[in-house]
Amino acid sequence: MSTDKVESTFLRRTSKWKLILLLLVLALIITVIVSLGLGSTSVPVQDILSIIGKHIPFLDRFIDSSSVSSASEAIVLEARLPRIIAGVLIGAALAAAGVLYQGVFKNPMADSYVLGVSAGAAVGASAAILAGAGFVFFELRLIQVAAFIGALSTMFLVYNLGRVGSRVPVTTLLLCGIAVNFFMFAVVGILEIIAANRLHDIVFWLMGGYSNVYWQDIWAILPFIVIGIVVAFFYVRDLNLLAMGEETAHHLGVNVERSKQILLVLASLITAAAVSVCGLIGFVGLMIPHLTRLVIGPDHRILLPTSTIIGAIFLVLCDDLARVLSTFFATMSTRDWPVGIITMLFGAPFFVFLLKKKKQSYAT
Amino acid sequence: MVLLNVDGIECRYGSVNVLEDVSLSVKGGDFVGILGPNGSGKTTLLKSISRVLKPHKGSILLNEADIYSLKSIDVAKQLAVVPQDTSIGFNFAALDIVLMGRNPHMKRLQMESEKDMAVARKVMNLTNIWHFAERPINELSGGEKQRVIIARALAQEPKILLLDEPLTHLDIVNQLEIMDLVKELCVKEKLLILAVFHDLNLAARYCNAAIMLKKGKIFSAGSLTEVLTSKNIKSVFNVDAIVTKHLVTNSVFVVPLSPQKSSPPKKCSIHLICGAGTGTALMKILLDEGYNVTAGVLNVLDTDFETAEFLKIPVTTEAPFSPITEKTHNANLAMISDASTVVLTSVPFGDGNMQNLEAALAALKRGIPTFVIEEVPIERRDFTGGKAKALLAELKRKGAEFVKDQNELLSLLNVSVEKLKIAKKERDRLLDHLKPEEVPKETKKRGKGEKR
Repeated sequence: MSTDKVESTFLRRTSKWKLILLLLVLALIITVIVSLGLGSTSVPVQDILSIIGKHIPFLDRFIDSSSVSSASEAIVLEARLPRIIAGVLIGAALAAAGVLYQGVFKNPMADSYVLGVSAGAAVGASAAILAGAGFVFFELRLIQVAAFIGALSTMFLVYNLGRVGSRVPVTTLLLCGIAVNFFMFAVVGILEIIAANRLHDIVFWLMGGYSNVYWQDIWAILPFIVIGIVVAFFYVRDLNLLAMGEETAHHLGVNVERSKQILLVLASLITAAAVSVCGLIGFVGLMIPHLTRLVIGPDHRILLPTSTIIGAIFLVLCDDLARVLSTFFATMSTRDWPVGIITMLFGAPFFVFLLKKKKQSYAT
Repeated sequence: MVLLNVDGIECRYGSVNVLEDVSLSVKGGDFVGILGPNGSGKTTLLKSISRVLKPHKGSILLNEADIYSLKSIDVAKQLAVVPQDTSIGFNFAALDIVLMGRNPHMKRLQMESEKDMAVARKVMNLTNIWHFAERPINELSGGEKQRVIIARALAQEPKILLLDEPLTHLDIVNQLEIMDLVKELCVKEKLLILAVFHDLNLAARYCNAAIMLKKGKIFSAGSLTEVLTSKNIKSVFNVDAIVTKHLVTNSVFVVPLSPQKSSPPKKCSIHLICGAGTGTALMKILLDEGYNVTAGVLNVLDTDFETAEFLKIPVTTEAPFSPITEKTHNANLAMISDASTVVLTSVPFGDGNMQNLEAALAALKRGIPTFVIEEVPIERRDFTGGKAKALLAELKRKGAEFVKDQNELLSLLNVSVEKLKIAKKERDRLLDHLKPEEVPKETKKRGKGEKR
């Protein structure tokens, strides 16, 4: 009778997965609400709820927001909300791209920067900082546009270097990515040398952070990230099959080269959009997919959505920490702590802890 | 019924041709073995049929449609492949892997339906892996993994199954179970099976047709019995093999003999007195060692007779199941007198072959060294009421060398050959020694004469 049990557990997986996703979405919402209250001025949760509720149609008439000061409202809506929404988007983007790259490359060391996207963005951003960052282009800052263009052009360069005829062997692609990465960071190094008094800005951009994000930045990257992740979700089963090896995936009916191309382009678009706002935030794209896989298993149908949400939660929490630490150390530096430092400082030990604990099941 | 036509394909890796002008036409219900030595293009042929390696020339038609113009997913509904290597990156459960075989039947974003699950369960029961359905793939043994991969291919519900050495990691029971299953699907569901085999006997047991490849070309193709002949095996694999029908399985049965060793001919002939299969192994070994081998008297249809025929050993023969006549006995004695050594195997003796024992005695009397292998004590193989035993005792008295088995015989033979060589050298040296003494004398004489 145990055999029937196996069958029904597998068939009931879908509902289990839905429940997991529902819980994660709830966790994300709670994280966002709590985060809105954190910072130099703390705002109580009920005030946050009234401020948000006021801006939701139909709900607003039931909410009495008279107790909330207009100052808190301005802090929550104008200063914190864009930053937290950016955190959600960027965390989701980096984690999702990491899942896609690791799946396509079948390589646990692949992260969202594997095709040189980070290095390209760094060159673009550094050049823009040198040129004078005040320039505004369609309401977007030059740094953001330059980083986005740098990221995408590097990705296409790597892709074309790694191409052999109409095929894209992953090993060649991986090696080309590494080579181009080194080259691009050499260029960044040169730009840093000649940067003189702007070196500080470049270094901070490279550390990764988005403390001064504006609504227009978010509107600019939102379509890339949302559409990218949604389209990628159509290819999750292909990712499962690609994990079996490209030849096997081919035998099981996957149009391997096309799926690979689509997934790589999507992942690169998502990463480029995120990087253009936040600079280089490490760890999220590499470790969140691993961490999720440890807990949830290797099936990309659940791995992609859960990684995306966990990435979002993780980055928002890290940014909270960055914000709190900035207020603590405000006397020493007027700068905000770059969230990129926090992700690595706290994420890495936590990951090692989890890896040690579940070592057995992860040994492949 | 599914049809597969391969029409004059040519495949290249770089500039090296691995397949040349290969054509075949097969249909559902055929079980085709692809045979050939390493590097003969077997795997390449499977790869070009499974659309991994596009041929440079020629075409492959699946139900009369060019397989390279079809969509991957449509091909995967009809054609499944069990590859040689079965490494899997992420740690999926066995059932997950088998369910992946349902991919060609599913739409994007669709989850496995109850029907998909039923198919997976069916094929996993067939391959006997349902009991570890939930186990992660990387915790399974090589054989279990291979059965998971075969189940995944079957879950595709294909019309054509390509197997590339599917049994490499399986033990003998699993090999037979899996092949019996594949054969059953071939017969009942009219599946077309194309399988690369290294084991010719497995191929012989299950295939009804075969292709033998040599250096990328079809050397022989057709029904199994047409292809699997000792002549073809010799030309393609360069191995002597006995091909017979197996008594129990009634399938063609191949016994490969070790490749001919090129030991130097010893120019020394050995006459075997054997019968009932007691000389079969020895014949091959002695030939390999470089001896000239003769045998007799053997009854036609005796196992030793068939071996001698195969190995082209001269034999004095007697009609099947008949006692040795005076005439053949004499012929045998004539053969023995040409031999430099006689070997008597542990053959059972009855009234029909007592003359063979007498022939051994005759050889000894003529001064030919005679060896007697006594693997089985004479008491157990004497069916003459003690006459054979008495003769054997006489052989011993007269100086026949008794050995306990083949190996002892071979070491003694080698020693005696060495001894012969030494003796010959000694004689030659003596002759050389004699010559120079004579020659200087004459020159001296001549010198003296000239001086005079």
